[in-house]
Amino acid sequence: MATYRARLKEFEDCLETEKIDVKHLRSLCFQGIPDGRGLRAKCWKILLNYLPPLTTDWPDFLKKQRGVYQQLLEELIITPGKQGSGNSREDVTFADHPLNPNPDSQWSQYFKDNDVLLQIDKDVRRLCPDISFFQQATDHPCERLVNAESGIETLRKRVEHTILKAANVGKNRLGITVTNVRCSTRRKVAVEEYETLPEGQEAHWEVVERVLFLYAKLNPGQGYVQGMNEIIGPLYYVFASDPNKDWQEHAEADTFFCFTNLMSEIRDNFIKMLDDSASGIGSSMQNVLTLLKKHDQQLWRCLEDRGVRPQFYLFRWLTLLLSQEFKMPDVIRVWDSLFADRRRFDFLYCVCCAMIICIRTRILEGDFSDTMRTLQNYPDGDIHVVLRKAVEICPS
Amino acid sequence: MAAGPYNYSYIFKYIIIGDMGVGKSCLLHQFTEKKFMADCPHTIGVEFGTRIIEVSGQKIKLQIWDTAGQERFRAVTRSYYRGAAGALMVYDITRRSTYNHLSSWLTDARNLTNPNTVIFLIGNKCDLEAQRDVTYEEAKQFADENGLLFLEASAKTGENVEEAFLDTARKIYQNIQDGSLDLNAAESGVQHKPSSPRGTQLSNDQPTNKEGCAC
Repeated sequence: MATYRARLKEFEDCLETEKIDVKHLRSLCFQGIPDGRGLRAKCWKILLNYLPPLTTDWPDFLKKQRGVYQQLLEELIITPGKQGSGNSREDVTFADHPLNPNPDSQWSQYFKDNDVLLQIDKDVRRLCPDISFFQQATDHPCERLVNAESGIETLRKRVEHTILKAANVGKNRLGITVTNVRCSTRRKVAVEEYETLPEGQEAHWEVVERVLFLYAKLNPGQGYVQGMNEIIGPLYYVFASDPNKDWQEHAEADTFFCFTNLMSEIRDNFIKMLDDSASGIGSSMQNVLTLLKKHDQQLWRCLEDRGVRPQFYLFRWLTLLLSQEFKMPDVIRVWDSLFADRRRFDFLYCVCCAMIICIRTRILEGDFSDTMRTLQNYPDGDIHVVLRKAVEICPS
Repeated sequence: MAAGPYNYSYIFKYIIIGDMGVGKSCLLHQFTEKKFMADCPHTIGVEFGTRIIEVSGQKIKLQIWDTAGQERFRAVTRSYYRGAAGALMVYDITRRSTYNHLSSWLTDARNLTNPNTVIFLIGNKCDLEAQRDVTYEEAKQFADENGLLFLEASAKTGENVEEAFLDTARKIYQNIQDGSLDLNAAESGVQHKPSSPRGTQLSNDQPTNKEGCAC
């Protein structure tokens, strides 16, 4: 308990200065950020280059950024939603209609966006099923959108609308047109397994969906790639559980900017074209194997001989920053160290290498199938053992 | 008696391909665990599963590679086609777009596997009859035209899931029996194990290649 208090004090001393010594903060965070008092949310925002080191700038800075986010929401979701709602679709004119083949057609863009939205929707509904957090209602829904009187077409409605009602029309022997009753029983496919919260409420996953949709719209070259949901999940979870109510209220905006910053560092992993480039996933996987070969030649040889290729497991480990390999509290602890890494994300390679070494007996004793199963479902254990091993491996 | 490491005579390698969200991972889960996984996460890269089945009195270990469906992962997943004895190509009967993309998946499967690879077309989610977007008949016709085995199945209820995996294995086994599948070929996707080595070579998991005639 005394050490916990001492650590809290160290963090608070470091953070409650006019100009934060980021280098010192990094070394503190690398050892793990203590839970409670919203320290993690604050530290991550600094480590991800969102909050500037000058704490006196924070109030103005945050106000500005959160305003910018509102503006983006307004332009990219709320305003188009107004046009898209009800019967008074302003963009239905002779010049623009749903079958307009012109690529500049607002309708064409609308349909393209909806494809992206459907993909995101499918993935965020099943975000972190081991915790119930994302299914719960947020205390801070986007009022402009969820208010039923606003008449704005929300993303929720857009996803529903995307599934068009179908009816089989046929003629019976008397020549009377009959409509197959099937159309009335047709349900919304996307929501089949999940409940949607009542009007006026939003689940946390819906907030995440909005942020990802905005990100995809603002980064059209890259768009939405599966796995981004797993990256944004822990960020939003930490920010939206911030005990500081004011900051918690703006978790959505802050998540957007931190996610954007984080993606700018790891986005090469998400771009297929770069798989074989120096910055792409291919060379990252090679980095881990090089470390493994250096620190445990026997194990490296074993995997090599058995044909356990890095794509079979390291591809996911690295692309998702290990977010799918551990339970949420462990993911968060690992990310403390990853974000605090001076040479982001070199330490990630060390953690991956350590993970393999920590289960070396199981690997050496098993066969190909056992090894695959173990690497793809990393066994539960003490995350600190893995992290200590990673530090040992880390070239200083 | 059959408790040794060689309690099966063959290993067949399968891959599962198809658009994202058609239920590839759920089919695999249903087949290996006999359960429906409602919160099945998307696949990044590949997932791996095994199960031992029996065909004509022979124990066969299926090694199944379940691939990611999203376009971004296509380059990565292509490397798994090599040496597959069976390919399960999946679409979602409630989403026509996933059916429309089959020809592109089939092209990949044909180009990247060997000519003897058994390709099985699965129309998944057949429990959602009310939302059906692709008729049985047209898919059946597509399968016939392209020489594919075909079934509609449901990873949710389990309907026809066993059948799809087992029929594929039977067809592969038949190809071995009639000699059309050459086990010595490097990429046949089938490994033959000596049926009962009397407990020797316990440490070596690598199956020795075909010994003697499989007929």
